[in-house]
Amino acid sequence: MNYKRHLVIASALVVPVTVIAYFLIAISYKLPFQGSAEAVKIDVMMQAHFVLIAFLFSLVAVLMLYGLVVFRRREGDDGDGDHIHGNTTLEILWTVVPLILVIGFGIWGVNLLNELTDAEAKPNQLLVHVQGQRWSWNFSYPELGVNAPANERAMVREVDDPNDSNNIDLILPVNRPIVLEMVSIDVLHSFWVPEFRVKQDLVPGQTTYLRFTPTAVGNYKLGCAEICGGRHAYMMATVRVVSEACFDQLVVQQLPLAEADASCQYEAMPNYPDSAK
Amino acid sequence: MRQLRILFSLGIVWALIGQAAGAAAGLFLVRAIRAAANLPPSAEAELVIAAMFSVFGSLLFSGVLTDWLKWCVGIETPLRHGDPDGLPAWTRYFSVDYNHKVIGIQYGVTSIIVLLVGGILAIIFRLELSWPGEQFLTPESYNTIFSAHGIIMIASILLGVGAMVNYLVPMMIGASDMAFPRLNAFSYWIAIPSAILIMAGMVIGDGWETGWVGYPPLSTIDGSPLGTQLFILGFYFNGFSSIAGAINLLVTVMIMRAKGMSLWRMPIFVWAAIATSLIQFTATQTVGAAQLMVTTQRVLKLGFFDPTFSNGLGWPAGDPILYQHLFWFYSHPVVYVFVLPGLGIISELLPVYSRKPLFGYKWVALSSLGIALVGFLVWAHHMFTSGMADVLRIPFMLATLLVAIPTGVKFFSWVGTIWGGKVTFETPMLFVLGAISVFLIGGLTGPILGTIPTDLHLHDSYWVVGHFHATMFGGFVFPFFAAIYYWYPKITGHMYNERLGKIHFWLMTPGFWLMSLGQMQVGIWGMRRRIYDYDPALGIEFTHALITLSALIIGWSVLIMIYNLITSSRTERVAAINPWGSRSPEWQVPSPLPEFNYYRPFEVVGEPYDYGVPGSVYVRDVPAAGD
Repeated sequence: MNYKRHLVIASALVVPVTVIAYFLIAISYKLPFQGSAEAVKIDVMMQAHFVLIAFLFSLVAVLMLYGLVVFRRREGDDGDGDHIHGNTTLEILWTVVPLILVIGFGIWGVNLLNELTDAEAKPNQLLVHVQGQRWSWNFSYPELGVNAPANERAMVREVDDPNDSNNIDLILPVNRPIVLEMVSIDVLHSFWVPEFRVKQDLVPGQTTYLRFTPTAVGNYKLGCAEICGGRHAYMMATVRVVSEACFDQLVVQQLPLAEADASCQYEAMPNYPDSAK
Repeated sequence: MRQLRILFSLGIVWALIGQAAGAAAGLFLVRAIRAAANLPPSAEAELVIAAMFSVFGSLLFSGVLTDWLKWCVGIETPLRHGDPDGLPAWTRYFSVDYNHKVIGIQYGVTSIIVLLVGGILAIIFRLELSWPGEQFLTPESYNTIFSAHGIIMIASILLGVGAMVNYLVPMMIGASDMAFPRLNAFSYWIAIPSAILIMAGMVIGDGWETGWVGYPPLSTIDGSPLGTQLFILGFYFNGFSSIAGAINLLVTVMIMRAKGMSLWRMPIFVWAAIATSLIQFTATQTVGAAQLMVTTQRVLKLGFFDPTFSNGLGWPAGDPILYQHLFWFYSHPVVYVFVLPGLGIISELLPVYSRKPLFGYKWVALSSLGIALVGFLVWAHHMFTSGMADVLRIPFMLATLLVAIPTGVKFFSWVGTIWGGKVTFETPMLFVLGAISVFLIGGLTGPILGTIPTDLHLHDSYWVVGHFHATMFGGFVFPFFAAIYYWYPKITGHMYNERLGKIHFWLMTPGFWLMSLGQMQVGIWGMRRRIYDYDPALGIEFTHALITLSALIIGWSVLIMIYNLITSSRTERVAAINPWGSRSPEWQVPSPLPEFNYYRPFEVVGEPYDYGVPGSVYVRDVPAAGD
């Protein structure tokens, strides 16, 4: 058997298969809309992971399938394969190369995490107080001294049970750094808006923080991502990212929605997720 | 009459009677004491003591403690072995027996029964999730069922690991039995009442809704269902099984290997069993402590995890995150308990069907220990969004990524083993290849959860569900099924039906890929974990219908395997001594093996996987004195 020749052919096959695999991943695992500045940065890393997944999957799958086809036992051949114990050079190679990759991703991860969790106050940042309880969310703006206004329109969520729907929206101004200071009054909860890409648990007895900068006006859905009992699935709220002017009308001045500018209405804003995937 | 006599000779019947009697005794005791002390009745206290007594009752009545109790009062008891007197031979499989092969089969059959229970639960809630909106479950019963699915599958996996380790290791190393046969039986018989407690938790006291992780405050808050308590105690007692079994295995491998079997000449599965046992032996205590702390918090109001705790004496308040650390200090390493034996099976079977030595034996052996070691340093990656100190997240992220390295060594060594071999595709080999493909999916979808920035999106999403199902199926379920088919002729002396085996494989493998890849897709699109209902706006309805369909296919394929295993044992066909052409010692002698495995002891005179060297053997009979 000419192992070297087979290895070269198989390795050459890895390249097109990687491209196909990456293409399939990119269309099947399309990330949600990028609704925050953080999402843009995190998605770069996601894509890097996808490339690596596509490559490593192709590497192992192609070599294995190629080996299974080429080195299958032929009819009437009762012999054994060649007596090859191993190859120390190869073993060191496939220990060291992944190690370098892992260190690279590790350093990238540390830097990006430090950027995402940077606690230094940014100019123009807005502090929002979030309280989780079974099974609803409450929001207030301690620096402005106001609570989030009640949602006057019937729920925009279709999935919800009308009995315990959350009737308070989280209204955030677009393009301002947001700091959520979050508490829970009963059990663990978790704040997740998929379009923002970041997530943080709410812990009774502690204050936890989540920082992000929404970058696109629209209605988003917040869901609790930590099991919290019977209505966990319905512990949702609408997050409305609005223009600075609308934020001023709806939150700072506490105008009823009907009196606010037309551009601040629900219907005037895109809904995320966009179900037309 | 005879049937009745046989029925009441069975240890399993007495174990169930004992469990009921123990529960009744515990219940009565608590009621009596509280009544005598003029205290109001407490369902919680009654349940805890009844559950504890029920485990003792089960052990006592089953007879697994009898020898030890007799020793305590100075009565010697010889090690009972062989078929029971005056009863059909099959009854020994339903009673306390000290033979490692019998115990291995008891573990294996129990594992499959428990697997079916867990699988049925999965199908029930998959049907609920097929479409958005409420179908036929209430949110509370949904929570109970998915929580029970998790812990029952874990119980099944631990039983399956016990089956493989118990049956295979003494046979492979040439031992007549495990080092401590009575302790071995104890490890199995305590797993029974534990599993029953967990299942009882579903129906007694409104179930529970915490998931298998049982995080406080949800598991301790006022009004949390009583079933939670049964689940916690079942989990706790199951730990005894792991610890005792692990000690037994480690001692057996250390002192009972055949002559000439140095560490580097052990079958590779034995290395995996050592790595697994080291984890079970050292990590299980922590989760036991955590479950006891939860129990004391629920019953005695000790506030370990309660941030509002105050006893007026200035004791500090509790911390819910402390539980998560204690829990994952065990529950992450235990993931490697689940997969290392399975990966060992892959490495064990590949050389046989490739007719070629295992590529890089020492690297594969050490990679198991490497995974076990690194596995202890990564627990907090389950807590990246928990609110633990930021400074702690970084070392855990780096350690987590390191797991990729020994895992990669295994994959590349498997490819190296196939390369240049003469591969055949019998059912066990198909399941080995299926295991590699599924574990590859599971492994590759891990690092994206390990780097924290990307985990912030994927944490507690269905991506995680897809990822860990792929690791569990690739690391345990597929290799376990491969092992069942592979050693079925050794266990029964009959050959399984190859055609049905292949049908099982070709249904289950694509079914699983579809399920797991679908779960990851809905996760990345925004589906949260552990939810009873989902938002149709996410655009995930079609994928959910597919996931349910594939779950059904997997379920049916497993039933085909069970049918195959049962009917094949009734056929006349007798499997050849060595149908796979293996070099392993158990395949050099007729099946099934006798009571003490080998009539003549063997010695190791070669390498375990030296396929391709003409005339070389791994073991040969020790020449008798005077030969």
